[in-house]
Amino acid sequence: MFSFLKKDLLVLWRDRKEVLIALFAPILLVVILNFAFSDIGVDDPKNIDLSVAIVMEDDAEASMQQIEATIQSAPLSDNEQQTLLETAHAIVPSDLLFELFLDDSDLSQWISAERLTASAAAEKMENGDLDAIVHIPAGFNYDVLMQLLLGEVTDTRVKLQIEEHSLQTDILYDIMDNYLNGLNLHLALDHLAEGNIEGAMLPTGGRELLNDEVEPYPYTFAQYFTMALSTLFALFIASTIASKTATEKRQRVINRIIITNTRPVSFLFGKVTATFFFTLLQLLFVCVIVHLALGIFAGKSIEFWFITVLIITFFSLTVAGLSAMFTSLMLRMNSINLATGIFTMIIMLLGTLGGSFFPIGEMSPFMQSLVEWTPNGITTSLFIEALQYGTDAPLLAAFSKQFLLFILFLLIGIFLFPERREV
Amino acid sequence: MMIETVKLTKSFKGKNVVDEINFYIDEGESVGLLGPNGAGKSTTISVISSLIKPSAGDVKLYGKSIIKNPAAIRKILGIVPQEIALYEELSAYENLKFFGEIYKVKRSVLEERIQEILDMVGLRERQKELVKTFSGGMKRRVNIGAALLHRPKIIILDEPTVGIDPQSRNHILETVQKLNKENGTTILYTSHYMEEVEQLCKRVYIMDHGKIVASGSKTELLNILSSEDTIKIHLNETSDDILKKIQQIESVRHVDETDDGIRIISKKGNNILSSLIHTVESQGAEITNYQIETPSLEDVFLHLTGRTLRD
Ligand SMILES: Nc1ncnc2c1ncn2[C@@H]1O[C@H](COP(=O)(O)OP(=O)(O)O)[C@@H](O)[C@H]1O
Ligand SMILES: [Mg+2]
Repeated sequence: MFSFLKKDLLVLWRDRKEVLIALFAPILLVVILNFAFSDIGVDDPKNIDLSVAIVMEDDAEASMQQIEATIQSAPLSDNEQQTLLETAHAIVPSDLLFELFLDDSDLSQWISAERLTASAAAEKMENGDLDAIVHIPAGFNYDVLMQLLLGEVTDTRVKLQIEEHSLQTDILYDIMDNYLNGLNLHLALDHLAEGNIEGAMLPTGGRELLNDEVEPYPYTFAQYFTMALSTLFALFIASTIASKTATEKRQRVINRIIITNTRPVSFLFGKVTATFFFTLLQLLFVCVIVHLALGIFAGKSIEFWFITVLIITFFSLTVAGLSAMFTSLMLRMNSINLATGIFTMIIMLLGTLGGSFFPIGEMSPFMQSLVEWTPNGITTSLFIEALQYGTDAPLLAAFSKQFLLFILFLLIGIFLFPERREV
Repeated sequence: MMIETVKLTKSFKGKNVVDEINFYIDEGESVGLLGPNGAGKSTTISVISSLIKPSAGDVKLYGKSIIKNPAAIRKILGIVPQEIALYEELSAYENLKFFGEIYKVKRSVLEERIQEILDMVGLRERQKELVKTFSGGMKRRVNIGAALLHRPKIIILDEPTVGIDPQSRNHILETVQKLNKENGTTILYTSHYMEEVEQLCKRVYIMDHGKIVASGSKTELLNILSSEDTIKIHLNETSDDILKKIQQIESVRHVDETDDGIRIISKKGNNILSSLIHTVESQGAEITNYQIETPSLEDVFLHLTGRTLRD
């Protein structure tokens, strides 16, 4: 078995240029992207200013009174009612939104937000003085709290009215989207921490994956795309390794190997292990170098780094499994180009589903459920959750999924491995 | 009988590339498989070595079919494929080491055996160099070496000397001869160079269009021609007309123009010479040189198929 690994590593080593490119391409891209986004305003906030009006159509006080009344009339113990009331006052949703726009220092650097009436905002928009309006609908606080605290499904939506689409307004959209998602997550955790609220009270649907590209807090866009991009690049390693098999096919050594009575696992073992180490190395490289160069993970604990290494390890395992599948496919297919094309398509599909190209929030629920089964999707969202919650992130569930995918891909690889050369 | 094929057939897209061939190889024998390009030699070898499945028929090793149980033949077989099957990015030594390891040669003997093989193929000095920097002949030699690591009882060589320099070629032929004579290794040697097969093999199968057209020892095969003479003549001038006229002579079977003169195959015994002189002179030409040739396997092939091995 180790003969194959040795051989595969040697062949990779002889092809150092390709290896180095594969290692450094994601780093380069992350760094470039980071600078590109810095331009939007983090470095030079004066360059950009998005003027946003917040139109509050909800009577917050009335909403809060209404929710108090609802909680008090709910069939709950005094203790439970008390907790809910406290929570409700701690997280008045519209207040959180104002805080986000008016007080958050990061955002206020490049967004100037003001509270306006609906008509004033409309007029300003007409004059071209506004980039966007955030409408908080009537009953917003009540609806959101009902949903969060009592699990009543409502259909409240904050409306974002945008004057002209641009990268910046897209970011604004993501912020809003995230804010709404974040509300669910924070609350879910609060509940769990308190321990005395039943699970039934969690918002329907429970946690949602966070996959939006801007989150000033608690994780940064740079942190997100570091992982989203490098997992995408890492998937290509599986394809690169499989294309080495194309060389083995072209050089006919595979025939020699087959007639030595070699078990498929031995041959695949080399590919799988080489891919595993290579992916691990690439991702560690990206994280460490990107951090050293740009300080992307500044202030993170040892614990966080430990979790990150674990996440990367399990992801590398899945990519390794994928390389087994690709390798056997490569051996079976007559056209090397067609095979490579198919691999690229599979990877792009995984990239898309895994949220490497656009936010998952805009996909249908069915597609979203697929996301939770793409290696890169699992990894990216777990990483985001780890950034936010450390060891409280659902590590075990995600790792089990990754491991399951690894086994699945590996079995497919072994199953497809040709015992004789098919002609 | 070590290996035997029974009505072995392989078709691609409905065309029988190997067509119901029967042959056998005894232990310790050195057998040649001779035939022009496209005859089906490589395909036959691929089936015997369990690399592809036959469409019909069977291959037997010591009487047992290998179709269901390819492991048996794989263990005792060393194959030198027609196309170089080596890692170009690895050195000669690294290639041999890798293949030795996957042939499960014991670690304790592998190193020694690699050096022995490198000596045999004359590449000890250059073992550290990458295969991609080698000449065609050197690659072919490593290609053979890679088939010898596990000391196979039978070695199948598929045109191991195509397109290489005479020095490498001699080296290869000597190596094969040594393996057969000194180690008792059974050899199946495929080629379209009949000189090689004549030199190396006691017994020859001649293959054309997927079929075995003749077989036997060299003398047996040459006896096929016992009823014929091969005559070479040189003329002071030639033309297509003359060739045509010669062809029309009753006892003449075949005429063609070679690098050195006109080759004529005719029935034995008839007084061909006078007819020839008569025919040539009637066309206004003259025979300047005349000789009766000892027939070669090449001539046998020509006789059997009506074409030359290098067609
Ligand atoms: N994989 C294949 N698919 C289709 N035709 C093939 C394949 N391999 C060989 N052939 C055909 O089979 C015939 C015999 O080929 P081959 O066995 O390589 O002959 P040889 O080794 O005697 O030159 C040729 O006409 C060749 O084109
Ligand atoms: Mg051939």
